Amino acid sequence: MTLAERVKRTEFLGREFLVWLWYRSETREALFDLGETGTVELWFEGKVALEGEGEERGSEVTCKGAGSRLREARYALTRNKKITQAEIRMLKGDDEWSFTLDAAWLDLHSLKTPRVMQDVREDPDGLFYERMFLIEQPIAVVQALFSQFIRLRMSPEWRSEEQPALEAWIRKGE
Amino acid sequence: MGFLKGSVTCTRFQVAVDLPEDFRETARDRISRYAFRKLEEDSDQERTMGWVNILDELQVGFYGDEMFKEPYLALSLRVDVRSVPARALRQYCREAEEEVKSLEGLDFLNKKRREEIRERVRGQLLRRVLPRTSVYDMAWDLQGGVVLFGSTNSRICDAFSELFFNTFELRLTSLYPYALAYQALQDQGMDPAILDEAQPVLLAGEEAS
Repeated sequence: MTLAERVKRTEFLGREFLVWLWYRSETREALFDLGETGTVELWFEGKVALEGEGEERGSEVTCKGAGSRLREARYALTRNKKITQAEIRMLKGDDEWSFTLDAAWLDLHSLKTPRVMQDVREDPDGLFYERMFLIEQPIAVVQALFSQFIRLRMSPEWRSEEQPALEAWIRKGE
Repeated sequence: MGFLKGSVTCTRFQVAVDLPEDFRETARDRISRYAFRKLEEDSDQERTMGWVNILDELQVGFYGDEMFKEPYLALSLRVDVRSVPARALRQYCREAEEEVKSLEGLDFLNKKRREEIRERVRGQLLRRVLPRTSVYDMAWDLQGGVVLFGSTNSRICDAFSELFFNTFELRLTSLYPYALAYQALQDQGMDPAILDEAQPVLLAGEEAS
């Protein structure tokens, strides 16, 4: 299987991860315990983009709002639309980040980090290290969340507990 | 915007090999070999790309170990492109063709002649165009093997992967959901082969595609 074929064949993993993340953030007060990575607050806020499949391929829906106000996007999930990207906010301690996460590659777009304290003229290396620390934080969080999701997704609990609860949550958006 | 200022958009890659002990010494020379070089003003070169200092994109060439910021190897990819706007090229070509026809007393110029004029005019105009500069940051965690690159544009990412390979003779592997899932299952002592059996679940209301 070529890389492109494998990306295509398994792109559902990224889509299902985004839906699961949305569901978990809404039903568990946006709190995620990530073990070594710490506890973070993470929720959908801003735009959620979805697109049609099959005959509806090419039709796109973009919904904007925060948390439960994204009902239209949840409704679109029940109408054979697949999530492609979402704007996310994240709090860790007193620091706040925002970024767009795409389902196909799990890349972070338009990542805004907390303000840095270092000055580029006084200490350019210090600025580099501070910014890298702030950029790596949400990447590590997304990776830890995706690991949690995959472990659950590949376990028997997925079919018996998580998937029915997730489907019930989506139906509430109708 | 780069890693040091403003918002960041990035792609992740993995370098899946252990680096040799003399990596740092050889990397310095390799990076210098593929450092950014400006477009020569009197040439008709349209594009140039290479490595620059992540802290100073205008610095051409490297003077020491400025690329090593432990545990990272940090660089920027600078791409300078210049091109002649199509409309201007058409207009100047037409003027040049009329001039040749008038000088040589011709009513018609054949295809080969018109192409020669077009290339000459393109070269002349190109030397008058200022290049557009784009800079994309890269931070390679030499311990973890993950490379962050400051673009998600596939054309730029391909150019970056090629320059990375030419410089370090190392292939970059894209980190995408399957690769991340494979790694996650391996880290948790589960068999990653189960991923190949996984099928998309049909969530509420969805139809099979």
